[in-house]
Amino acid sequence: MRKPLLLLGGLLLVLGCLTWIFQARWPIVDVQAASLPKVVLSAESLAPRPIEQRTGEAVTHDYAQAWQDLADGLDTNRTDLLGDYFTGEAKVRFTQRIKEQRNTGLRTRYQDNGHHVKAVFYSVDGGEMQLEDEVQLEVQVFDGQKMIYTSNSPQKYLVLMTPGSDRWYVRCLESVPEETF
Amino acid sequence: MRRLIRKLCFAIVCAALPALSQKVAIHAPSSVSAGSSLAITTTGSGSATLYLIGPSRVRKQSIKLGQQVEISGQDVAASGNYRAVTCDSEGCVSAVFQVLPAKPTRLAFMLHPSRVPVSTPKAVNGTALVSDRYHNTVIAPTKVDFHLSLGGESSTRSVQSVRGIAWFEIGSRPKQGALQVVASVDDTAEPRVIQQVAAEACGLRMSAAPSGHLVKLQTDPIRDCAGNPLPDGTIVSFTKTDAAGKSTVDTPIKKEKATAQFEVSGPAHISVACGVVVGNELTLGGRP
Amino acid sequence: MRFGLTLLIVVLTAVLLIAGWVQAGGMKLRAERAASTPEEAVRALLADIQGHNWEHAYALLDHANDIQKTDFIRDIAGTDGSLRTYSSLQSFDIWPVHADATHATLRVRMNWSSAVGSLDDVRDWPVVRDGSVWKVVWPKPNFANVPLQVLPVNYLRWDVIGKRSDEFGSAAVDSPQVRIISMNAVERPDSVVIVGEVENEDTVPAYLNVSATLLKPDGSPLAKQDSFDEIAHSLLPKQVSPYRIDFPGIRLNQVKSVRMDVHPLLVPASADPVISVENQNVNKDALGRTVLKGALINQSGQVVNIAQVLAVFYDSSGKAIWVSDGYVDQALLPQAPVPFAVDIPADVANRMHDYHVVVNHYTAPSA
Repeated sequence: MRKPLLLLGGLLLVLGCLTWIFQARWPIVDVQAASLPKVVLSAESLAPRPIEQRTGEAVTHDYAQAWQDLADGLDTNRTDLLGDYFTGEAKVRFTQRIKEQRNTGLRTRYQDNGHHVKAVFYSVDGGEMQLEDEVQLEVQVFDGQKMIYTSNSPQKYLVLMTPGSDRWYVRCLESVPEETF
Repeated sequence: MRRLIRKLCFAIVCAALPALSQKVAIHAPSSVSAGSSLAITTTGSGSATLYLIGPSRVRKQSIKLGQQVEISGQDVAASGNYRAVTCDSEGCVSAVFQVLPAKPTRLAFMLHPSRVPVSTPKAVNGTALVSDRYHNTVIAPTKVDFHLSLGGESSTRSVQSVRGIAWFEIGSRPKQGALQVVASVDDTAEPRVIQQVAAEACGLRMSAAPSGHLVKLQTDPIRDCAGNPLPDGTIVSFTKTDAAGKSTVDTPIKKEKATAQFEVSGPAHISVACGVVVGNELTLGGRP
Repeated sequence: MRFGLTLLIVVLTAVLLIAGWVQAGGMKLRAERAASTPEEAVRALLADIQGHNWEHAYALLDHANDIQKTDFIRDIAGTDGSLRTYSSLQSFDIWPVHADATHATLRVRMNWSSAVGSLDDVRDWPVVRDGSVWKVVWPKPNFANVPLQVLPVNYLRWDVIGKRSDEFGSAAVDSPQVRIISMNAVERPDSVVIVGEVENEDTVPAYLNVSATLLKPDGSPLAKQDSFDEIAHSLLPKQVSPYRIDFPGIRLNQVKSVRMDVHPLLVPASADPVISVENQNVNKDALGRTVLKGALINQSGQVVNIAQVLAVFYDSSGKAIWVSDGYVDQALLPQAPVPFAVDIPADVANRMHDYHVVVNHYTAPSA
């Protein structure tokens, strides 16, 4: 009678360990495998120079990736996630926000329901691109496990992106009043 | 006496009822200027927690309901949407307010290129990004002046910013030298310099001076079509072909001229080029 | 018992030493040093060169031409920080060219492994009979003998000063303006090769690299490579360099288009040294291959330690069809001509109408 019990106990222990290992790994896989937010870029009224197709694709991808990183960073309070697609003032601001969230025990969860992005300025030398973004964003703020704030409304952002060696970086990402554009 | 006590109790209950039934509420101004302090008011009684959640700041503090909470300018330096949330044991209420950029005091000025050949149309462009002292993009239209000067000539063009950006594009001037461009908003000025350099060589010519079995080659002063001398160090290629084969030398311009020396055996053909510009060709009789 | 153990150790050590000697080619070396035939004499000499055994190698030479030991060592081991000083003889092949009872000529192809890859050196060596042995007649090296003089060098030099600010919108200096002026995709038996020329259009020096991405018919990348050392990386204003990018194992019919990228950097540079390329001729070498030969002359006052020759070949329409390169294993002493040769593939030699040569150089910083 003792032997089957011991065997069962051992099996449970192994299963428990496996579960623990998988649980420990899931958050990372989630972040990596998560699909990017939907970004639709229009550039009809872009000035003073038009956008090349490859540039448009790169900007769309990199902007979506930046939002994904921002959402993951605010949810997990990890500043390291901001390093790949944010630079300059945007990186400084969101890094500070995440640090203060961590210090106060808060976290923010974004449910990103897609961006309608309009490219409005692309400098002659190709060094700066300004975007207007209208995003449907569901925001939930938690203090520990308790949800203290929720909203689901369209928001507008004014974005400045600048090219790096192999990607476009978000340099400014500022929410603006409804009537701005 | 009993009626009096009953009346008194009723009056006390009536007086206390509004207070007991008053729900917690939070009020904030709909918008403030970045860096300006503001007051958030709450209603209700007892203690609660106030959260201030902005683009770059998160604050959490205990407050007494019904009292006014001062928020310092430092906490609302970044423009954008802010949420003030108050939670007590009953739940949470919130208010949303907008922090708008302050007055323009900073300019990020990108001027391209840093070197440009003379007399090239639409070759110079500048982009100025207008922001306040907290690096918030100033969305309101702002007049940006671009002051250009080269030698004794100067001109100014004013551009109204759109969503914080003002830009211009001009052709380079026909004279080489340092073109200074200053972008300014009110008291803020950002100077930049572009080097206007000579364009491609124009009318590249060389002459030969045979001396024994050697030939010395020297170009005329190498200038562009506007008469600007090509800078020293620019490479000029000489090629000589004779019975011994082909000889080449890439030599830099010194004091507007390039020189080379070849040995010649028999009749020789000599050519000169600077980049993709080809100069004159010479044929020498040679001295075996 | 103790004596027996000592004996065993001594015997084992001796056996191991003999095995090591045999393994290291001692038997072969001994046979090669016997020099009873012209080929054995050459083999023995090459074995000594391979082992850096200069004293013994010199002893194997015929001294009738009064060659000095120092000259022989300078000739074979290199001097002045040249590429040869960073090389060692990896392998060699020997062919008889001529032989009679007392004289013979052998063609030797020496394969040197160097800091920049393997280099071939083909020479014809005369061998003479001296009694019962054969000896190599080492051609007397003709070292440059430049008379003592003062050479004024006042070429321009460019420095990059100041610190680049990371702040957005602060003053900056653009990278040099460079332009790919020609590009041609060429199919070789085992690869696709991109050849062409790039020009520094700017008024400042540029350090550059050219890369190419081959695109499939669906637009996706097939392969990406860069020009590595098949380019003159440092270009002075208005200087033109050929480039070549190899894609081994790829066929041209797999490629829909090519995306070219050039990456210029602003670097300090000097217009010195000026190296002329003299007496360029297309000839056959000793092995019957078509080669472009000539001589490099360092017109400046400083020794150039390592030089690389890059040659671009054009067809009759002026299109670049091939780029060859070759390193020169001698240092370029001031004013002294140094020969060079670069291979030209047979099919390119047939179609070639013109060519252009540029020289890449490396000078070790002086102490």
